[in-house]
Formats: sequence, C-alpha cells, structure tokens
Amino acid sequence: MESLAKTKIIEDLLPQKFGKQGKIWVVFLSALCLLGAFAYYRQLSKGLVVTAMRDYASWGIYISNFVFFVAISLVGSLITAVLRLTNVHWSTPLTRIAEIIAVSAITFASLIIIVDMGRPERFYNLFIHGRLQSPIIWDVVVITTYFFISLLLLYFPLLPDMQIMLKYKERSGKYLHKLYSFLGSFWKNTPGQIKISDKAVNILCIAIIPVAFSIHTVTSWLFATTYRPGWDSTNFGAYFISGAFLVGAGGVMVAMYVFRTHYKLEKYITESHFDKMGKILVMLALLYLYFNVNEFMVPAFKMKKPEEEHLRGLFTGEFSVVFWFAISTAMFIPILILIFKKGRKPFPAFIAGILVVIGSWFKRYLIVTPTLLHPFLPIRDVPESYHHYFPTWEEWSIAIGSLAGALLIITIFARIFPIIPIQETITETEEHEKA
Amino acid sequence: MRKLNNSAILLLLLSLCSLTAYAQQEKNSLILNLAYHNNNNLQQYLVANAKSKIDGKFRMIEGVTVSFYITSDSAKTNFLGTATTDIKGNAALLIPPSAKAEWMKAASRDFVVVSKADKQFDVSTATTTITKARLKIDTADGKIINVSVLALVDTVWTLVKDVELKVAVKRSGGDLNVSETQSYTTDSTGTIAAEFKLDTLPGDLKGNLVLIAKIEENETYGNLTAETTVPWGVPATYVSEYDKRTLFARRGFTPYWLELMAYSIIVVVWGVLFYLFMQIKKLKKLGIE
Repeated sequence: MESLAKTKIIEDLLPQKFGKQGKIWVVFLSALCLLGAFAYYRQLSKGLVVTAMRDYASWGIYISNFVFFVAISLVGSLITAVLRLTNVHWSTPLTRIAEIIAVSAITFASLIIIVDMGRPERFYNLFIHGRLQSPIIWDVVVITTYFFISLLLLYFPLLPDMQIMLKYKERSGKYLHKLYSFLGSFWKNTPGQIKISDKAVNILCIAIIPVAFSIHTVTSWLFATTYRPGWDSTNFGAYFISGAFLVGAGGVMVAMYVFRTHYKLEKYITESHFDKMGKILVMLALLYLYFNVNEFMVPAFKMKKPEEEHLRGLFTGEFSVVFWFAISTAMFIPILILIFKKGRKPFPAFIAGILVVIGSWFKRYLIVTPTLLHPFLPIRDVPESYHHYFPTWEEWSIAIGSLAGALLIITIFARIFPIIPIQETITETEEHEKA
Repeated sequence: MRKLNNSAILLLLLSLCSLTAYAQQEKNSLILNLAYHNNNNLQQYLVANAKSKIDGKFRMIEGVTVSFYITSDSAKTNFLGTATTDIKGNAALLIPPSAKAEWMKAASRDFVVVSKADKQFDVSTATTTITKARLKIDTADGKIINVSVLALVDTVWTLVKDVELKVAVKRSGGDLNVSETQSYTTDSTGTIAAEFKLDTLPGDLKGNLVLIAKIEENETYGNLTAETTVPWGVPATYVSEYDKRTLFARRGFTPYWLELMAYSIIVVVWGVLFYLFMQIKKLKKLGIE
C-alpha cells in the first residue's frame, strides 16, 4: 500500500452519507423487506398452508436460506480469525466487511428458522422443553454463541475508530455522534486499553474458530443424523464447512468490489486484495469440489435403491438443471475465471464472487429439498402435488426479504461505521513507513 | 356356384378346426397335488397345490378354484368344499364336520381334488389316500422328549414302527431341531426318544418353549404334528429402556457423558464471553480514570 497521510486515511475511510444511488438501494431493499414482512403476516394469519410445503417437502426454501445464511456467516472466522492468527496483514481492510457479513447473516439465520415454524409463539418451548440429545438444541446454542462472539469481534476493533469518529461531529451529525459516544466514548487509546482490546480480540479469534466449525457441523448434523438418502453421510460436517468457506469468501469478494467502487476505496482495497482473495477462492472451490465428488461418488458406486432415486433426480432427473447450474456457478466457472491472473482483477473476480454466492444458494436448496421428496414410507394415495415442490410467492417474498434484510444491515452498518478499520490502517501504514 | 359354396363351407370348417386345434395347443396342463395335514391332533385339513409347466419352467398357479371330495368325486354327498389357490399355488380346506360320517367309515380314507376346465387349463384331478394316525409327544426327566406314532388299525390305535419324524422347537422364523440329529425313526415300540440340547435357548417370560414333533409328507399318514409346552428355555427378561439415559431417550434423560460434554463446552465458551464482557467494563473504567 502506498504511503498515506493519517488525515487522508481518516478522510477516506470515515463513513459517508448515502448518495442518490445509496438511497435508491436502501429504498429498494426496504421495499423487499416490507414485501417479505407482508408475506409473513399472511403466513402467520393463514398458517403454513400458504407455502408449498406439505407432508413430503416439509423443509423448503426457508431452511435452504437458513443453511445459506449459516454458511456465509463462516467468513467472519476465515478472514478475521484465521488470517489474523496466522499474521496475514493484507487482510486488515477486509476484516470488518467479513465480520458485518457474519453478523447480519447469523441474525437472519436465527430469524428465518423462526419463520419456518408453524407456531412461532411456541419458540420458547425449545429452551424450556428442549432435549439436549437433539442437534436442533445444539444448533440453537451454537448459533446464539456464534452471534455474540461475532458481535464482540466486530465491536472490539471498532473502539479505536469510535474515538476517531467522535472527533468529527460535524461530519457524522448529532444522532450518530450520540451513538458513537454511547458505544465508545470511554476509549482513550491508552496503552492499558490497547492491551486489553488486543488480548480480547486474540481470545475471540481463537474462540470463534471452534464455534464456527461447530455451527456448521451441527447444522450438517440436522441432516446427517437421519437415514435419508442424500443426508445419511459421515462426510457432511466437512462438506458443509468447506462449502461455507467458499460461499463466505465469495460474499466477501462481492462486498469488496461494491464498497471499493462505491466508496472509492481503490487505495485500500487494492487489486492485490482481489488477487489474493481470488487464489483463496480457487482453493476453496477445489476443496468443495473434492467434497462434492466424495458426497456423490461413494453412494453412486454402491447405488442403493433409495440413493439411486435421489442421485438420478439430481444428475439427470427433475433437479438436474438446478444441480448442474449450482455446480457450474458455485465451482466450475469461478475456478475457470479465477485461475488466470486476469480473472483475479476486480471486476472478473466480482463476477466470480456473485456466481459463487448464487450457485451456493441453489446448492443449499438441493441439499435440503430433493431428499424430502423421496420418503422411506410413502403416504398411500398421496396427492400428486406432494411429490414436487415449488415455493409460493409468499415463500419467495420472505426468502428474498430476508436476503434483502441481511444486505440492509450491511448497508446501514457501512453508513454508520467505517467499513475499513481506520486505526488499524493508520497503524499498519505507519509501521510500513518506518520499516 | 353350388360347388363354390361347398368349397367355401369346407374351407371354413377346416379353418375352425385348425383354430380349435391351435387353441387347444395353447392350453397348458395343470398339475394338482393333494396332501393331508393333521395339526396337533386338532385340525385335519387338505392342501391342494396347483402348478404348471410354462415356457419350460414349473410355475405355481394362483387363482385356480378347486373342489375337495372325500372317498370319491362321484357323489355329491362326498363334497367337502372349494378353495382357491394363493400366490404359492396352495388352496387349503378344513375337513368339515359334515364329513364326519364318511370319515368314520374306515381307518383309511381317500381324498380327491378336482379343478374345472377354463381358458387356460383343462380339468385336472389328484387323489391321496391316508391312514388315520396321530403323534403323541411327552417328556421325561433329563430333558428327554418321547414321541410315539399311533395309527388306526381297524378300530384300534396301534403303535407304528419305522416311521421317520422330526423333533424341534417352534420359533418365529422356523423350527429349530432339538439336537444335532435331523430326524428320528420309531423303534419296535413305535416310539423315539430325543434329547433336548438347546440349554441356552431363550423362551417366553416364564422360560416356556413349544416342542413340536412332525411327520412330513409320509405316503401312508400324510403330514402330522404334535406340540407340547415345556419350561426348558431361558426366561426372557424385558428391560425397559424408557427410564434409561440414552441418546434416543426423552427430555431429562440425557446420557451423563453428553450432559458433561455439552455443559462443559457451554460453560467454558460462555465463561470466555462473560470474561470479555467484563473486559469492556474494565475498558470503560480505564477510560474514565
């Protein structure tokens, strides 16, 4: 990174007010959220009958969305924790992007699971009457834990920036100044405070890795602890974690490009960042591809009858179009783009990131729903519609609304707080200059 | 013209004949077999089996209705009843009380089974002749099973020698021989003695086992069985899993190891989180100072 004066860095990285594009973006996301809220109101008043979920496909795109959110949230531990603990300094400008993606994703993962419940007012029973033997309870515990760890990992590194922002009251405005004051007025940048903060961040970085691995493993166990074809696999924990790393990295790639372009952060999120993230993405895509080969080849070799039905549905049957679309967009095409140096330039890398995210969403759908359409004990004289699942407009609205909600959190966060850590950037620049 | 008409009629008749012959060629022959059963000296019934050679292979024929007769099928009074063959080609009929008079006439009886002609098969019959017999099963000290074969000679039940039979324990999946000996042959006293060697065989809740002696497909006596219950098994003890701490148990019955693991992890991780929340408090304190 070229040498930058401290004031210039602060000037560049302080949160900026929404321009016209920003306002349109916020209105657009809010409209999607409102549509989702209206659809959920209909679902609450009429019941789950407004969805396409029936006795066979009792998990539809809500649970696909849940698994997707849980997956993308893993990026917090990848970029922030793993790279920080391994002393990889180039990732500093990306840590906050990764953490806010993690927080917003895990927030909506929690919400969407409640949306999937027919009687959400009974949610508290999970805590009162929960069985500790059930992976669902482990998921509830681990998601809550991961949420708080991610929140703290977002908060501690924000404290030095808070002190900087408090100095720019005119620019931030009265209300934001009050918020900064409430959250971080106590930060004086004293050696004692820095020591405690650094120690806390290190502890969080260590703690978040096993918790992040747990959240994805436990989510995979919701499926893998059953006998159902497509889910009955010892490979599922690792399969989920590798997929989560991939979609998380893809999400960061997209966010990097958007923030870089919109906030003119080319000096901070450089082409080198895209190059390095591109290489990581290729590695993660290959890793996920490896687990996919495992996941499909081993049952295909044995071809037990229920597995055969499931695999044929995916490879050549009802779900083949979605399946090959997901495999191509989440893995093959991004690898082909990013494996070349030119493909790791910002725009192609951004396209690859988008493909990864979209493909990964459909991949989650393919993990959840097709298995359910082939029950071990089929219902006698079941209506034909039970054999197929296509979400209703209410389900689409709620699912899209939740995705828009997650993006809205990220957008508003970027409006309120610096999306690139100011103090850390200054410190690293100064150290770089000294060296 | 008349000559032409005659030729046409002749041709038509020839065609019909050949068609009939063709149709007759298409019919397969139905093979019936008839067996007599006497279960535990309580149920006497007949089983007819229908099979046919189709495409070079014997196949059991389902859905054939057969009529059973005692003595012969010439008199209506000898009619016992009808039954239809199942998927295995078997049709069974209990000998009805109405046949008692005919049954009691002699020690040896003939039975006839007849199937009607249909599109697939011609009429088929089978007969069997049996001498009334029964098995007597008893036990003695040392887990010895004594089985006697008695046959009706004129009006007297007489012990019969040189009859092959099996002694087994009834199990749900099939009968289990009581020792390594597959079958026994009655001695000059018409009796066999089998040693029960299945000492560790599980029984019911009281340890009861059902012993069965059976004569199978005997040309003279048919199929006979006799059963008795003995307390020679190991009593089955039902242990309820309901109140045990297992992974599949209800709430509140979590295995201790899982509770220990789960709560330890929760306490450690949330302990760390609590410590970090305390650090924020400490940071505030340092900032105020």
